[in-house]
Amino acid sequence: MVVVAALVAIPVAVIVTSIFDPTTQMWSELWETRLPGMITDTTTLLVTVVAGTVILGTGLAWLVTAYDFPARRLIGWLLVTPLAVPGYVAGFVWLDTLSGPFGPRGARTIWLCAATMILTLYPYVYLFARASFRSQGSDARDAARTLGLGPVRTFFRVAFPLARPALAAGGALVTMEVLTDVGTVRLFNVSTVADGVLRVWFGTGSRDSAAELATTLVVTAVALVAIERGLRRGARYGTRAVTRPMQALPLGLRGRTVVLAGTSGVLALAVGVPVVRLLVWSQEARRNGATATVAGGLWHHLSGTFVIATLATLTCVALGITLALLVRRRGVAGRLISRVSSLGYAMPGPVVAVGAVITLAAFDRSEVLPNGSVLVGSLVGLVFALTVRFLAVGLHGVESGLEQTPANTVASARMLGAGPVRIAWSVEIPAARTAILAATALLMIDLMKELPITLLLRPFGFDTLSVWVWQATSESLWTQAAIPSLAMIVIGMVAVGALLTALERGAELTS
Amino acid sequence: MKPLTFLRLAALAALATTAAACGGGSDESGDSRTVTVYTGRHYGIEPVFDAFTASTGIEVRFTAGSDPELRERLVAEGDNTPADLVMTADAANIELAAAAGLLAPVESKKLNDAIPEELRSAKNEWFALSRRLRVVMYSTERVTEPPSTYAALGDERWSGKLCLRPSTHPYTQSLVASMILNLGADKARAIVDSWVANKPLYINSDTDILKAIAAGDCDVALANSYYLARLLAEEPATPVAISWPEQDGTGAHVNVSTAGITAAASNPDEAIELLEWLATEGQKTFSDANFEYPADPDVAPADVLVSFGEFRADLAAVRELGRLNPDAVELLSRAGYE
Repeated sequence: MVVVAALVAIPVAVIVTSIFDPTTQMWSELWETRLPGMITDTTTLLVTVVAGTVILGTGLAWLVTAYDFPARRLIGWLLVTPLAVPGYVAGFVWLDTLSGPFGPRGARTIWLCAATMILTLYPYVYLFARASFRSQGSDARDAARTLGLGPVRTFFRVAFPLARPALAAGGALVTMEVLTDVGTVRLFNVSTVADGVLRVWFGTGSRDSAAELATTLVVTAVALVAIERGLRRGARYGTRAVTRPMQALPLGLRGRTVVLAGTSGVLALAVGVPVVRLLVWSQEARRNGATATVAGGLWHHLSGTFVIATLATLTCVALGITLALLVRRRGVAGRLISRVSSLGYAMPGPVVAVGAVITLAAFDRSEVLPNGSVLVGSLVGLVFALTVRFLAVGLHGVESGLEQTPANTVASARMLGAGPVRIAWSVEIPAARTAILAATALLMIDLMKELPITLLLRPFGFDTLSVWVWQATSESLWTQAAIPSLAMIVIGMVAVGALLTALERGAELTS
Repeated sequence: MKPLTFLRLAALAALATTAAACGGGSDESGDSRTVTVYTGRHYGIEPVFDAFTASTGIEVRFTAGSDPELRERLVAEGDNTPADLVMTADAANIELAAAAGLLAPVESKKLNDAIPEELRSAKNEWFALSRRLRVVMYSTERVTEPPSTYAALGDERWSGKLCLRPSTHPYTQSLVASMILNLGADKARAIVDSWVANKPLYINSDTDILKAIAAGDCDVALANSYYLARLLAEEPATPVAISWPEQDGTGAHVNVSTAGITAAASNPDEAIELLEWLATEGQKTFSDANFEYPADPDVAPADVLVSFGEFRADLAAVRELGRLNPDAVELLSRAGYE
């Protein structure tokens, strides 16, 4: 398992080490031409989307935890469902929808691109913020209110600062998504660095130049996360003892109206509009008989998505558990492997795909496998590449779960004669099980939506829903993309349900 | 789920994956003939393959992707590539693959007879299968004197009324490569500068470009011929028409759908058979599936293409598009073309 984890780091290393031998000509040419624009676009998009998701995600999380209003539980659940809508699907639906009122020129702006991304990404912040508000309990809020703070100031002076570590975790996920997105930005003519990597790569055929540019992206992502951690160093956030769990305050009629209108407005934009438009388009596709690709119908693509997403999810979780335990047991070496193998999450999908192909092809050339089997283009190859990209999601999920077991519990177990494997098996993993389930659900959602790696590396005969969507949208055939898009949203909703069930159970266990 | 069950599932999954891997490479059964295709052209390709299978009994397995991504995959796979035949939607990418030594030269009388010399590479590593023209499209409602050259799109009367495809797309790159060949880098740059000065609306889809003309969002644009044919098949009343550019000079820019046999093909005979079939018996099916002009001039184009009229085409540039592609990409970057 440890060996496999180290293998996962290779494709990332293949790309990242390119920086030690820079192609200076590419950099000077880029600097004179597109690079300044790419940096501006990336920064603008990143700042806008992170700010937008943090405001929206925390605000909504505060409303559903601190206040009581009709259908509060249902709305609290529904607010996570935009996770089920792939960014590129929301992108093409909104591009088409906005082209009406704004015109095709007015719709293709960085601001509308950012708005689309905020609507699909805010649940990451929402989930973390909600968990944090719940664990804060009512004490701090009630104290602030007793001291005369109004609801708005209570939120900004008390709840928001206390939730900062959770917001950082959500914000980090959003940062990765924005920095690595290559589907949504291109729809809106937004020219980010990730898009630039593909431009350089496929425009000049220079893998080295593209790898160097991709590396700057990874370094930026790592630096941003490190800076945020540094800024928080020394601060303490725990309210030492939570005497009372968060009690939702009842709202007056006006409050209830505002909250219901606000939350349902967000839901209508994030899920309602895409689903309704996709339903209309899918009816049209059905009338035109465009309900299948030649590879097969809905079932064929659905099973492809299911098989690939499940295999990759289980691999990421199993590896995540191994690595997380390794980090706990062998400090530095474990941490190094775990950090390097998480870097794939900071790389655009196509870059990971090609890093993985280089690695797998080198392996194939060494002819280790019997009777001429090759990994490139096999299911293993695909699952490997997907693991490189998404291992971080599993790893961090498991790590947060393992923290449930205090170090002295492990020490006691050891004194009682239990070996490390036994401790992991019967103490640490059971304690982390809800966190592991949550990570599993999150991975299912991510992997079901994944497009560039699956497209490039899938074995013959394996077609997924996302590939179907790509085949239709690359020719601007929105109606034909509707059925697979809806199917993805439905699967995503099921996974969101599983995620929330896991989180609820986790909350009960800890309280 | 209990953690133990869960872990067992994970271990099972890992096992299943390994099993699938070992089965994966060796699934070629001895008696049935197959050919494996990487295709960057992914519209209307399946019925063509079905027709080939019906006629020869050879089964076609294919992976679709974008031209450059598939080329990168080929480079990385080297000798172990499962691909026997590579198809692209653009001449530049296949030439770059040939230059990288990924394709094998093919000597075939059938191919040489069917495909004119300027539509295959110098060493016969790739063959064009159909031609598409990148032409000026205009609104028949608002434009009475459409531009008759590529340079004329830079005229300031089209300021804010021009739609173009972003430079990430091979079609844009190849058009500029042909301008560099025909006019020299300086003149080509001046033309691209004049387009950019007109603040074009960049749309990454020819279909949407034509719809934008119909909707009044732009008056003139560049797009491939077959997109109009496709749109007219759906909406015969679409108020968009072709203005054949460069008819007094080098002719309208031609790009091609191509195919070539990989150097590492494990089924070279089947691949050659497919290639020959596409160039001969299958020419009409292949071209008509996407309203393209057949590469073989003796094969009649689809009716809608006949209705577009006669024109002069710049066949001489086709072989050079790959060589000039890097120059075109750099020129577009320096000109600030999105």
